[in-house]
Amino acid sequence: MEERITLQVARYRPEQESKPTFEEYEVPLREEWAVLDGLNYVKDRLDGTLSYRWSCRMGICGSCGMTVNGEPVLTCAAFLSDFAPGPVRVEPLRNFPVIRDLVIEMTDFVHKLGRVKPWIVADDEAPPEGAHGEYLQTPEELEEYHQYSMCINCMLCYSACPVYGLDQSFVGPAAIALAQRYNMDSRDAGNALRMAELSGHDGVWGCTFVGECTSACPKGVDPAGAIQRYKVTAATEAAKSLLLPRAAEK
Amino acid sequence: MENVQRHGYDVVVIGAGGAGLRAAIEARLAGARTAIISKSLFGKAHTVMAEGGAAAAMGNVNSNDSWQVHFRDTMRGGKFLNNVRMAQLHAQEAPERIWELESYGALFDRTPDGKISQRNFGGHEYPRLAHVGDRTGLELIRTLQQKIVSLQQEDFAGSGSYDSRLRVFDETTITDLLVTDGAVAGAFGYVRQTGELIRFEAPAVVLATGGIGRSYRVTSNSWEYTGDGHALALRAGGQLINMEFLQFHPTGMVWPPSVRGILVTESVRGDGGVLTNSEGRRFMFDYIPEVFRDYYAQAPEEADRWYTDPDNHGRPPELLPRDEVARAINAEVKAGRGTPAGGVYLDVSSRLSAEVIRRKLPSMYHQFRELADVDITKQPMEVGPTCHYVMGGVEVDAETTATASVFGLFAAGEVTGGMHGANRLGGNSLSDLLVFGKRAGEHAAAHAAAAARSPVADADLATAAETALVPLERSGGENPYALQQELQSVMGNLVGIIRRGSELAEALEKLAELRERVAKVGAPGGRAYNPAWHLALDLRHMLVVSECTARAALQREESRGGHTREDFPAMNPAWRQVNLVCSVPGDHAEVRVTRQPVPAMPPDLAALFQPDELAKYLTPEELKDPTDAH
Repeated sequence: MEERITLQVARYRPEQESKPTFEEYEVPLREEWAVLDGLNYVKDRLDGTLSYRWSCRMGICGSCGMTVNGEPVLTCAAFLSDFAPGPVRVEPLRNFPVIRDLVIEMTDFVHKLGRVKPWIVADDEAPPEGAHGEYLQTPEELEEYHQYSMCINCMLCYSACPVYGLDQSFVGPAAIALAQRYNMDSRDAGNALRMAELSGHDGVWGCTFVGECTSACPKGVDPAGAIQRYKVTAATEAAKSLLLPRAAEK
Repeated sequence: MENVQRHGYDVVVIGAGGAGLRAAIEARLAGARTAIISKSLFGKAHTVMAEGGAAAAMGNVNSNDSWQVHFRDTMRGGKFLNNVRMAQLHAQEAPERIWELESYGALFDRTPDGKISQRNFGGHEYPRLAHVGDRTGLELIRTLQQKIVSLQQEDFAGSGSYDSRLRVFDETTITDLLVTDGAVAGAFGYVRQTGELIRFEAPAVVLATGGIGRSYRVTSNSWEYTGDGHALALRAGGQLINMEFLQFHPTGMVWPPSVRGILVTESVRGDGGVLTNSEGRRFMFDYIPEVFRDYYAQAPEEADRWYTDPDNHGRPPELLPRDEVARAINAEVKAGRGTPAGGVYLDVSSRLSAEVIRRKLPSMYHQFRELADVDITKQPMEVGPTCHYVMGGVEVDAETTATASVFGLFAAGEVTGGMHGANRLGGNSLSDLLVFGKRAGEHAAAHAAAAARSPVADADLATAAETALVPLERSGGENPYALQQELQSVMGNLVGIIRRGSELAEALEKLAELRERVAKVGAPGGRAYNPAWHLALDLRHMLVVSECTARAALQREESRGGHTREDFPAMNPAWRQVNLVCSVPGDHAEVRVTRQPVPAMPPDLAALFQPDELAKYLTPEELKDPTDAH
């Protein structure tokens, strides 16, 4: 007889229940099955109404983030066998409103994206120096910000962030890391433009450096490192703006 | 009648992958009020999974490259069935689209002197793929997404509303196009989260819905890929061409079973990976077809020297076009020389240092470590063919991407046919969706500015609403998941990599039976975020598109690119002159397949090939006078 494991899955159907409940499903415990395979088994064989998001199955689209046994993970990359003998508790990502079952509302993040201006702000005084308008950027310059570009917008860092949990106006880990991805890009001249947002009330100073975002990140982006790094930049800039008037008086 | 949300736009783009986003950006830049309809969340589209890169003859790594060479490679890869004008425009405009993407903020791996680096890929004569590691699709989608956010910020500054000129409707699925007297009037669908019905009214619609791979069990495609745009075009009166040509990517994961089909990027071979069978033999040397013999190495020693001295040595046969490699792997496994899990070995560990592998192929390193517990710096991977891409699709005008039969209907990206002929080269799809996405947006916007708006007919709305809701109301109907699995077995077993006339005929019988059953599909549960209901509606698209593939495959009695007939194993120049065109004449009619001549190659493009190469593809009559070839 095939080994099985129990999934305790959070269900929330607003038309029939006022708050989430748990339902248990038995699924095959196969060594190579991810939690997502277990959920797909439930949907295909046991209950076709179970709602959750998924897409690529290979950890690149960032759709299938959920809370598994209390931790924010990509369910396509979390293996059932690691939770044996079970049960495995599957809940929506924390810190977000739940729409239905395991599906969360995350449009807040899309609005935050725009606020940090995640695009190259061209430097009118230093146009691209290569042929055909191509920028020249050495592999070393690329290396500077490359890590911060690996983000897949999976929201695990927001789910792990205690600051965001208390105050949703905090710009948050992924958006700050993305801002740093552009700030540190040698082709970009938008540092000053992003400063108001990043060092403002909802920016980096909200972070208490718990580091949960970095532990949760499935792509090694290290948002906590990005935030710390920006705090140094912001502090230096602030100090400079204090010093400048005096220097000008000389 | 049922309450239906109502929205009016100039241009409605269906699909939010690379082609759709690029089209929407261009339409908005041209001044059109534009809606983007995304089946999944904004930014999660299938393009995100593309790994290798975007092909563009920028000549950054080898200055001998040019659009002419890229065009030539594309035609060879497509076995000369390509729409020549599309292949030409694609090769000419791809570099500009890449530089433009960089100006939006995309990052690329760099050459030591700071230029955008380019990598080798199957069928490309020179290193040509602009890339970032092995996650190029993610960067492309992210960049386009962020460009859209930046345009919305500009609009906010002007109008006080982010959505005033460019709005994303995510988790929204279109089930029918609304067409009045042969002209596009809008589109109809539902909102996933609430189950509400929704209608868009617009004089121009761009289809950018991608492919059809979910009709196969072993596929690299994700759940969204159910041929929606193909089916929408058919039902609206449009035509599909080349539907018999499917690309089975040679290297999908074959183990463990739960991830079977997931892509292993061609970059592994481009960067030096070799294919071996269970006897340890580099078998690809046994499968170099006559038409490619001059360009590929005959023995491992020569192939290995190519990596450092490409000008004086033949290419490794691992870098043949995908159709050739997929067939070779299939043949090795069939001959009993496969791995235990039914694939072959792809090894990079004996070729590159662990450090180089981790740097050049980071996603592959993690994918195998996490999903298969294989360390690709120490062990070979097990790989086999997986359904990856459909070459066939909506017939469009090369310049404008407009369909001829539905006024105001445009299409770009994988949903179109013609660009890639019988087989697509790796790297040509990211460039395709940038080049033709831009063209689609530009021309759809121009059309919207000039054309009168067609009214939506009440009867069409009522029919669309009824069609969408009926599975929910049917109690005791067939289970959509079970039906999808049956469809996948029919397509995988009878319309797979290697095809036979008798099996294709059998497939058509089974598809007819399935069609009856899909008409009786039921989905229990409510309307909000109900995946069984969504699949029940997707199945309608999958069925008609599968029928196109099976019918065209039965008619084409030859083997070419992504269509291999065991009973007609040779390529036949007479068939190169023929496009098979699918249409659906009435509402519930069978798919009709007609034949249409492939337009001749203009002399200036024909002159890019040696006469003896053309002789391998063209008929003697065509060779006599290439300007008069039909």
